[in-house]
Amino acid sequence: MRETARMAQPATAPAGIDGSLLPGPFAVGVYTARMREYLRGRAKVQLFGEVWNLRVTRVKVYFELRDAGGALPCSMWRDDYDALSLGESALADGSQVVVGGGLDYYAGSRTSSPAFSFAISALRVAGEGDLLAQLDRLRKALDAEGLFARQKLLARPALPRTIGVVTGEGGKARDDVLAGLARRGWAGRIVWAFAPVQDRYAAPRITRAVQDLAATGAVDVIVVARGGGSLADLFCFCDETLCRTIALLGVPVIASVGHHTDRTLIDDVAALSCSTPTHAAESAVPVHCTQARAEAVEFARRLSVHGSRALLHRAQVLVRLSRAPGEHLAHERTRLHQGLREMRASGRRRLSDERARVARRALVLERKAHAAALYARRATGLQAIAMALAAHDPDRTVERGYALVTDRGGDVVTSAADARAAGEVSLRFGDGVVDATITHEP
Amino acid sequence: MTDPELTYEDATARLEAIIKRLDSGEAGLRETLELCKEGRGLVELCATELEAVGQGLQELRLDELVTRLQEGAG
Repeated sequence: MRETARMAQPATAPAGIDGSLLPGPFAVGVYTARMREYLRGRAKVQLFGEVWNLRVTRVKVYFELRDAGGALPCSMWRDDYDALSLGESALADGSQVVVGGGLDYYAGSRTSSPAFSFAISALRVAGEGDLLAQLDRLRKALDAEGLFARQKLLARPALPRTIGVVTGEGGKARDDVLAGLARRGWAGRIVWAFAPVQDRYAAPRITRAVQDLAATGAVDVIVVARGGGSLADLFCFCDETLCRTIALLGVPVIASVGHHTDRTLIDDVAALSCSTPTHAAESAVPVHCTQARAEAVEFARRLSVHGSRALLHRAQVLVRLSRAPGEHLAHERTRLHQGLREMRASGRRRLSDERARVARRALVLERKAHAAALYARRATGLQAIAMALAAHDPDRTVERGYALVTDRGGDVVTSAADARAAGEVSLRFGDGVVDATITHEP
Repeated sequence: MTDPELTYEDATARLEAIIKRLDSGEAGLRETLELCKEGRGLVELCATELEAVGQGLQELRLDELVTRLQEGAG
């Protein structure tokens, strides 16, 4: 190494650090070239783990090989990768693989960054038991227990006074949440529960934050927010304990983790899943506060109008009602007067009629009396005539001893000549009739 | 007049129903006056709720909230 360093050492190397006993200074390019040789000289081995952050470029394929104890950046020539003929989805985040290869180091340059990686010369997909399959099983199990439905049954307030937000302290998600709330015109109380959102300690911390926020009893809704990232970065949001905790929480949780393409388990258990923290914040406050204030003013105005109208109407009705008895009285008085006049007129007419009727009756009576007197006078006259007639009645003469001579025909015979002419006569005496025959004088 | 447990959304829904009823012109005098009285109470409730989230953003950390609650000021 010393020879190589000496060969490549620029003539204008700066002086070293005063008092330092370390060799050098060496040019960094010299050192990294030696380091690459050193790493390449290490033993080639086989490793196994899960693939995360898979990136397939034109020249190389990159991913991280991970397990619970550590992670190693890996790279593979694209030609070697294609030669495996794995198919479209054989290798994906979470896949279990066995790789063969060794350490390598890209030294970089003045214009490119260095990169350390495990250079893969052989790869086999382990197949069974990859994390995505585990995730799928867990998703089905939680769903079967009904845990996806519980949060969705919680009532989310339209206008929360206090919103709890679980997010990374330095992340962009925090600003996005604030921007979303500002767009709603909401300026209430935010309680920040900061937690790591992507390392192996993240899930327990997020679980604790959510629990603590709910335990205060002062938070109306909780937003769990994190910006986009790979599924590996978001895997803490698939933690079973976290998801079960949220499912059983009494406070609604709105999740905004990654993007739609990366659906984590928290998206399934939460009351609502949003694509961005901004959208999550807006969903936490369904009411647009600025508009709602204007609406409240409008409500108040319309109520006032209706109230005034009702009062005015009532006043008008009262005025009408207060006038009504007087008007009614006057009307009745007029009607009574009219009636009285009609009655008087009618009385006068009846009196006059009665008077005329009485006069007519008096006249009739007078005429009747006059007729009666006339009749009486006539009766008296008739009686005198009757008496006179009676005095001259032949029967009376006959009763005194005279006889009335009649012919057989009943005609009175008043002379001897007539008697002779008749021959046969009847002699009516007072006590009866006898027939007689006239005989001729001798 | 208004139920203290009434939520903002309940209040606004009831207000809309009241305004609709009043606009219909079918409410009698007594009902109109009662609806106006109830509506004013609801508007006041809504205004109070809106005022509570319009005073200016208040940002607390969870531990600060816990402290406030323990002090009885939360």
